[in-house]
Amino acid sequence: MAMKAPGDYQKLQAEGRYQVGADVPKVTFSEIGRRGVRRLDGYEKASGQAIYTRDIQLPGMLYARVLMSPYARAKIQRMDTAKAQALPGVRAIIRYDDVEVRDRMLNGCYFGPEWVAPRLAGWALKPIRPVLGDEAWYEGQPLAAVVAADSEDIAIKALRLVKVQWKELPFVLDQEEALRPDAPILRPGADTNLLERPRQSIQKGDVERGFREADRIIEFRARRNAHLWAGAELPSVVVRWNGEKLEMWVHEQQPYHAKMLLSEWLKVPMNRITVHSPYQGCAFGGRGNPANNSENGMNILAALLARRTRTPVKLLYDRREYFYGESADMMVGDFKVGAKNDGTITAVQMKNVFAVYMGTHGIDHFVENTKIPNLLCETSTADVSKGPAWWCRCEQLPNTFCFTLVFDHVAAELGLDPTEVALKNDGYDGHDITELSKYKREHGFPDRDSLRECIEAGKKAIGWDEKWHPPGTKRLPNGKKHGIAFTWNHEWDDTRGTGSAALMIENDGTVSIIGQQSDIGVNPWTSYCQIVADELGVRYEDVNIKPFTLDHGYALMSPDGSANLCTNGEVLRKAAQKAKKMLLDLAAQKFKGVEAEELDIKDSVIYMKGAPEGQKTLMEVVARTMPMSASVALWPEPPIITSAWHNQGLWGMALETGRPRLCRQAHFMEVEVDTETGEIEVTKVVNVNDVGKAISPETVEGQMYGGTYMGVGRALSEEMVWDENTGILLNRNLLDYKYATMLDCGPIETIIKETGMGHGPYGAVGVAEDIATVIPALLGPAVHNAIGEWIGEYPITADKVLKALGKSQERE
Amino acid sequence: MTDEHKGQPLRVAKRLIKLTVNKETYEVEVHPSWTLYYLLHDRMGLTGAKMFCDRGACGSCTVIMEGRPILSCMTLAVECDEKTIETIEGIAAANHPLIDAYIKHHCMQCGYCTPGFIVTAKALLDKNPNPTELDVKEVLAGNLCRCGTYPQHLKAVLEAAENLRGG
Repeated sequence: MAMKAPGDYQKLQAEGRYQVGADVPKVTFSEIGRRGVRRLDGYEKASGQAIYTRDIQLPGMLYARVLMSPYARAKIQRMDTAKAQALPGVRAIIRYDDVEVRDRMLNGCYFGPEWVAPRLAGWALKPIRPVLGDEAWYEGQPLAAVVAADSEDIAIKALRLVKVQWKELPFVLDQEEALRPDAPILRPGADTNLLERPRQSIQKGDVERGFREADRIIEFRARRNAHLWAGAELPSVVVRWNGEKLEMWVHEQQPYHAKMLLSEWLKVPMNRITVHSPYQGCAFGGRGNPANNSENGMNILAALLARRTRTPVKLLYDRREYFYGESADMMVGDFKVGAKNDGTITAVQMKNVFAVYMGTHGIDHFVENTKIPNLLCETSTADVSKGPAWWCRCEQLPNTFCFTLVFDHVAAELGLDPTEVALKNDGYDGHDITELSKYKREHGFPDRDSLRECIEAGKKAIGWDEKWHPPGTKRLPNGKKHGIAFTWNHEWDDTRGTGSAALMIENDGTVSIIGQQSDIGVNPWTSYCQIVADELGVRYEDVNIKPFTLDHGYALMSPDGSANLCTNGEVLRKAAQKAKKMLLDLAAQKFKGVEAEELDIKDSVIYMKGAPEGQKTLMEVVARTMPMSASVALWPEPPIITSAWHNQGLWGMALETGRPRLCRQAHFMEVEVDTETGEIEVTKVVNVNDVGKAISPETVEGQMYGGTYMGVGRALSEEMVWDENTGILLNRNLLDYKYATMLDCGPIETIIKETGMGHGPYGAVGVAEDIATVIPALLGPAVHNAIGEWIGEYPITADKVLKALGKSQERE
Repeated sequence: MTDEHKGQPLRVAKRLIKLTVNKETYEVEVHPSWTLYYLLHDRMGLTGAKMFCDRGACGSCTVIMEGRPILSCMTLAVECDEKTIETIEGIAAANHPLIDAYIKHHCMQCGYCTPGFIVTAKALLDKNPNPTELDVKEVLAGNLCRCGTYPQHLKAVLEAAENLRGG
């Protein structure tokens, strides 16, 4: 029987799916990898011309604000909005008991609306909440009433006039306390505070056997207190109804999800919703859709107010209100590790208790990154009276935290150089690096020892061999104790996700990338243009992107992870390759008597191979390829518009099972600790990242610098502090919630390795998330190396240093 | 407070002020509660000054008033009568070397805080055309950047200073 030829849609499906294997570039790099490429968003951002969602104003627009719970846990008994309603300038108040919102829950989940992922509905931010409820589950929760008024001031005043009679209820802040039998049960209808779904037990091999085989058993406990994304631009959304159609300006990483979710909730067809996503002032997960307080809540309330008032509405949060969304690593862990005297780790066991969290568990990097044969991770997650926790640059934080602490505890206990312990245990899924080498050779990758290369470069840069010393043994001339530490990890080859885009060759020979993408600062557009320039053979200056609207139907993978470039780079490459074929096909007609195969393009000029005199500019070839023309035809030709999509995913559809991570990263940190005051100064950080291929080296370095500052801030000072007696978050501002300033870290050295062993385009891997995720835990080993004591609670503040040194009067 | 006025806010008269912004003179009627940030950003459309920390912690709303960098979110508009103000829009229009240096050294990621940094740096260079690395650090330490591009700012400001000196 003859095989049926694949249909058009099947062809398209196949075209977008990643095939496991090395990417050997077929194109000559001219823009890709070049330093000095002028970044596409540079002038707009430097000159103050870049427009962010918060800057959007529409004529006649109203301003909306939501009431926030003043209590950690409470229920509304009675609410009187009459005075607020009577305030001049108030145009609408929606109450929790109004028909628009009564009994209506927030919809959707991380994957989109319920029709996309019915079984996962609500997953991501538990517990499922009403869009505007009457019960507070944490202090600062938006609930009860939302006001639209002529100005923000009036809206705020109106909220103050809302009289609420609350019934306070008992609350719990600590996850271990929440799991005790006498703890109050927080969720209505539940009989436990244990959040069921994330409870996991991950097992590999037999840890008991591993402990028996070990020369040493090392046990310790560690805790990470809450921190959050605290992005620059405060949340806002602008909504306008144009008759039955809805137009919105969002501050979101995933505007397409926002559109789907809003459509589902409001029952407005998706094709009647127009979404704009201007420049975005940071995200770090905080503008991921589930986090949009939460799962779409802001957008729904703004749309309802705009419909009621028949006026455009801008709903805003202030900084106090934006202090929700603890990072994913609010956890306490008990660790037991078995190791041989030479540093070979035989077993790792951990019991982690998380607070209001979903996602990773702490053990994952031991699976993906080491040859350790016996692993056991027991994870439980407790509901507490804090805001919903969400991925915050990035969800791997628990994994890097556990990984760094286990490795550095082992090295310190055995008195070994931690770089040697790393090399001894490098591998994947229980296999050592000879298996990795085999994989690389079988799949066309270069066979390089990425970890060794990273470690060697880093050791040299920081002067490891001269500086590394046993814990607590080096006092500097300034009287402070010197510490130095090392950690490592695999790359962030998270190339997950789906993106699509089109390329249009305009009639002047310039090229437009058509595809929505929220810019959150990782300079993606420049890189896309570099790729299109090289693949298509046009000048970098001639490529531009139209990223601010979803209306054209193309949406590049959202920048919620390193997924960005590794997915979208493939989209752009494929679209450019298709466009080039069409272009040469057309050009062959213009050259007359020449086959397309005899032509090529470079610097936006089409030429005959081997005959440099036969040239035409791109503009000459495409001048008449227009989508419309005057009614008196001027010999029009069809437009050159191509499109492509790409789908890749280590997770989710798990298309690439058995795809080990091949690139590594190594990080070194030096500190000085004042043993009188407990003050810690991070004096130097060296980051070595094997990024496979750096498309834009300055962008890679920018992420390495930025990730270091974020990581150092998280390690030293970033902490959300709740009052134990009231459950109120005390530091809802950027003076008391401290992230790193320019003065909070010494020199940072960035070393880029390019082994080409990534699964992304041109062998690249992601780099934007990992440093901020790996660096925080490294402070513990650095301080241990300085003072000879482990501090098991992060952030590591001066008081904890003094306590560890026995200098604190504070009682246990 | 509001209860004392039977639920109605205290009526306060608007005031006419005159101020010079980026070399243009404006007469504007301002409410006493308006901040300078609100006047510039929401009323005059000069959206380069950004609302980031929300109140006095981050420097993103910085403008130069009478030669001094100030936080426009902490300054009342009524205080600015007869004042001369320079914003990022004016600095960019004058093609200040900081703009190019900032682009070249990738000082922006999300870019939200970038104008505030440039305005602060410009005020420094006006006063001190030959700053040391420490001078720059001390001045810019009051500006927060969540993306953490700090090391790139140092390079850019020092290079712009050199260009200004004709180096």
